[in-house]
Amino acid sequence: MATAPKEINQPAPEVLLRVENVTKIYDGTVKAVDDVSLTVNKGEIFALLGGSGCGKSTLLRMMAGFETPTKGKIHLAGQDITNLPPYQRPINMMFQSYALFPHLSVWENIAFGLKRDGMPKGQIAERVEKMLNLAQLGKFAQRKPHQLSGGQQQRVALVRSLAKRPQLLLLDEPLGALDKKLRETTQLELVNIIEEVGVTCVLVTHDQEEAMTMASRIAVMSEGYFLQVGEPDTVYEMPNSRKVADFIGNVNIFDGVIEEDEADHVTVRCPECVHYVGHGVSGHTGMEVGVALRPEKIMLSDKKPKGEYNWCQGEVIEIVYFGAHTTYHLKLDSGKVIKAQELNNTRDLSCGLTWGDRAYAHWNDLAMVVLAQ
Amino acid sequence: MATKQGFFSRLFDGKHAVISIPYFWFIMLAAIPILIILKISLSEMQGTSVSNMIDWSNGWPKLTLNFSSYQFIFSDSLYLKTYLSSIQYALLTTLICLVIGYPFAYFMARSPKHLQPMLLMLIMLPFWTSFLLRIYAWKTLLENNGIINNALMSLGVIDTPIAMMNTSFSLMVGMVYSYLPFMILPLYANLSKLDIRYLEAAADLGTSPFKAFWLITVPLSKAGIIAGSMLVFIPTIGEYVIPELLGGSSTLMIGRVLWNEFFSNNDWPMASAVAVVMILLILVPMAIYNKSQAEAEAK
Ligand SMILES: Nc1ncnc2c1ncn2[C@@H]1O[C@H](COP(=O)(O)OP(=O)(O)OP(=O)(O)O)[C@@H](O)[C@H]1O
Ligand SMILES: [Mg+2]
Repeated sequence: MATAPKEINQPAPEVLLRVENVTKIYDGTVKAVDDVSLTVNKGEIFALLGGSGCGKSTLLRMMAGFETPTKGKIHLAGQDITNLPPYQRPINMMFQSYALFPHLSVWENIAFGLKRDGMPKGQIAERVEKMLNLAQLGKFAQRKPHQLSGGQQQRVALVRSLAKRPQLLLLDEPLGALDKKLRETTQLELVNIIEEVGVTCVLVTHDQEEAMTMASRIAVMSEGYFLQVGEPDTVYEMPNSRKVADFIGNVNIFDGVIEEDEADHVTVRCPECVHYVGHGVSGHTGMEVGVALRPEKIMLSDKKPKGEYNWCQGEVIEIVYFGAHTTYHLKLDSGKVIKAQELNNTRDLSCGLTWGDRAYAHWNDLAMVVLAQ
Repeated sequence: MATKQGFFSRLFDGKHAVISIPYFWFIMLAAIPILIILKISLSEMQGTSVSNMIDWSNGWPKLTLNFSSYQFIFSDSLYLKTYLSSIQYALLTTLICLVIGYPFAYFMARSPKHLQPMLLMLIMLPFWTSFLLRIYAWKTLLENNGIINNALMSLGVIDTPIAMMNTSFSLMVGMVYSYLPFMILPLYANLSKLDIRYLEAAADLGTSPFKAFWLITVPLSKAGIIAGSMLVFIPTIGEYVIPELLGGSSTLMIGRVLWNEFFSNNDWPMASAVAVVMILLILVPMAIYNKSQAEAEAK
């Protein structure tokens, strides 16, 4: 049942996992998870994204059954599993450190869970074979985990957690141990395998690119609670708070005051410039707001833009070349530094700006998001 | 020649000098004494002293090897029986120590981190009193009019004292009591390093805690089990003090035979031969252990 994430978000998705007002307090004082509620639909890849120590692992471990919630309930397919021990849950987890059994071969590691279920020998062999093929590990069946590379261990860990066909698959920083290059190729590989098996999946990561690439929905976490839950593009293009905008990707935030508040547009006056936002916002005249503007939505030129809105000028103080694009740091007259990202779509530097040049930055009136303070 | 020079300069450079120190001590403290024992075992008694193995009286060395002690060991079934019984007692001690020591070490390793140093101290506490004193203490506990029998009789549980001293029972009590720490310490060292995530992974894959213990904890602590067993088995084979003080004459242990040969019969070649055979008996399990270790590493 290989279903693409987009098709799942149809009118009435079937809810598989329901977390209700779950709180976890360690040692009576450390509030690791604070009144979190969420639902995960069948077939979905759901990502928990957040900085270090924000409670992602704790939430995941409560789903797996390694921690019991201090408050709240967890339901799987309608059944209350809050107090079920981990070995009775139809949930499997892929551990951050893989936790492959060092004394068992790859084959035995994958068969471990199947044997516990008392599956007949022939069927186990068949299933393990299938899993080995899925992970392209056929050659390594008889090796011990320490004889594999990091990427191979990661695939063993993945198929070990998939072998039992769990209703829910939990991934705790599945690619954390891999280097950047291997990570990017593995992300898609991982998604393909997960979709081929057709398993619902909750993924923990602190890497926003990983969450965007792999997940159909993302929950952004901070200090134990959810800041925003939504599809990757929504969270990226329409963050609901400064923290989310800051956490997901790069962003320039201008502080200002709403000057004009109309149904089809607002203007925000900032010390650096005046923003003309081409849609209405929930706010009122005189309200202090932040205007978030992504670097890739800013265009640079050496000519003064027309009109009085949505541009500012400054001095190029830094040029960071990334290959596919270049990021310019522009020091505005107010002293504020903004970042603008230009695509390198020709082989000479796109806008011919260099250190010390004065430049104009401009953007269109649907490029920014107005955030309440 | 260049190679020779290279050899000597290599021998005296810092790195090799450091490595050579343990070798030096090994040769001085283990290899030479064992060779001396081997030499004595191949000589015979001449009055109160041991015969010279090499006779220079004719102007050139004449080597005489005397195997009579070894012949005697293998012809008199008492020696064989004593060796076998020593191995049996040592194996039984090892097994009992493992059965008692494993749960001990396991709960120590699982107890809160701040309690562990104290528990470790408690394990080592007996070493602070003399070994002999502790064995004597058991004597006063186990004797016919010892503390245990007196207590039971005054409580009316028994009418006549239970004969516990000078039996296999008292011997085993003494040996298990004395060697238990040597089992617990390596097991604890091993189990406290066991990554709890393996157990979580096992539980996650549907393994109950009891099953996970046998499937994960025990196999992963194999090195600790082997180390602890060796530390108990090897010294208990040749144990002398405990059989002498608690075992009595009915318990056959090779350590006591050795002592008798030396000090009662004053037969040094015989005593040395008994010791050499014992060393071989200990070397065999050691060799097996080393081989299994090497294989495990090669895997
Ligand atoms: N067993 C525990 N006892 C006490 N406090 C804990 C325990 N486990 C986690 N915490 C605390 O709970 C908070 C959340 O931890 P958690 O491991 O869930 O973070 P995380 O989001 O997974 O972070 P990371 O990205 O670094 O893995 C942290 O402040 C952490 O110190
Ligand atoms: Mg974590």
